[in-house]
Amino acid sequence: MQSGIEHSFMERAERPDRVFYDLPPETLKAFDALKSINEYERGTVLFREGSPCRGVLVLCEGRARLSVCSESGSRLTLRIAGPGEILGLSACLADSAHEMTAELLDSTRVALVRRKDLMEFLHDHREACMKVVSLLSQDLHRAYDRVRTVGMSRSRRSRALRVH
Amino acid sequence: MLSPYGLDIIESCLTCKTRTERLFCDLPGPALQAFEGIKYATAYPKGAVLFVEGQAPRGIFVLCKGRVKLSICATDGKTLIVKIAEPGEVLGLSASVSGKPYELTAETIDPCQVNFVKRDDFLHFLREYSEACFKVAEQLSEKYNTACHEVRSLGLSHSAGEKLAKLLLEWSSKNGESVKQEPRLKLALTHEEIAQMIGTSRETVTRLFADLKKRQIVQAKGSTLIIRNKGALKLIASNN
Repeated sequence: MQSGIEHSFMERAERPDRVFYDLPPETLKAFDALKSINEYERGTVLFREGSPCRGVLVLCEGRARLSVCSESGSRLTLRIAGPGEILGLSACLADSAHEMTAELLDSTRVALVRRKDLMEFLHDHREACMKVVSLLSQDLHRAYDRVRTVGMSRSRRSRALRVH
Repeated sequence: MLSPYGLDIIESCLTCKTRTERLFCDLPGPALQAFEGIKYATAYPKGAVLFVEGQAPRGIFVLCKGRVKLSICATDGKTLIVKIAEPGEVLGLSASVSGKPYELTAETIDPCQVNFVKRDDFLHFLREYSEACFKVAEQLSEKYNTACHEVRSLGLSHSAGEKLAKLLLEWSSKNGESVKQEPRLKLALTHEEIAQMIGTSRETVTRLFADLKKRQIVQAKGSTLIIRNKGALKLIASNN
């Protein structure tokens, strides 16, 4: 990890966390103040399945592979996250360990918002909390789609081929 | 009040004794009062379908009593049970928030009391009460964790035997039995339903149970299953 780099992302259309683009400017400003942005190399593991959650990570650019692992070390890709996505949200809100591993597929900047700061922010900004609920709902829809794909495929080969 | 299904219906959330033990229901006074004004307390018999996968979301269902089977169906009719929902869970949550069709089918497996809230009323309620919004976020996070666990179990288990062993160990860990030498668990589901939970056929589940009994790893006493050899079951679960 490299040292923090100061960035301002107030231009809504260009915001890395574009999922928050429709929030009021003062809310966006408050969220920006919580971020610490760092640059990471391709292949960096942002968080590992089972590790404690420190906060959420916003992918400024690039992609990350989200996967789960068996006890024997086999790996199954859940999906590929794209620019602007917020990672680790469910573990952060449930105050639980990460339920998956996130590995960068490109060298990119990633913003960290610590759990404590995020929780305070959501308490203070109702519209952001509503947005987070909406994001979690989308994540859950994707996860159920994956359950359907994996659970209904008859062979291990067909499961592996249907990587999202 | 007694309902036709023998349920002791809790008419008001304000007087519900179990409220504080449940994640969503434990709301502060004003939010609870507002929720009371938008919910409809209803009772369903066993086998009732609350909503069907693919249906436009009408609203959420807070499960007060009984259990509900949540399943996904393939185009060939194959069913996969994703979860057995317990009292305190909110069903149809992600579909109601996102406006997308229900992604699961919910069917009661016991007589149930359910509090229904219309989608528009629920969204308005969430915008008004941030505490409720937070609780919904927590419930969605838990559901997401469960879905990831399900993907891991279905996608990375090598055999049906491994999946069944994992399921039995998971069930035994829920009621504090896992610390015991010989954990006991109540088998509340049929072999067909267990098959639908691990993505295999009823015949395979019956054969696997017969094999576990023959090897004296488990023993059945009515609907109670005793895990006689926890170590051997763990070995099967870890695919060794």
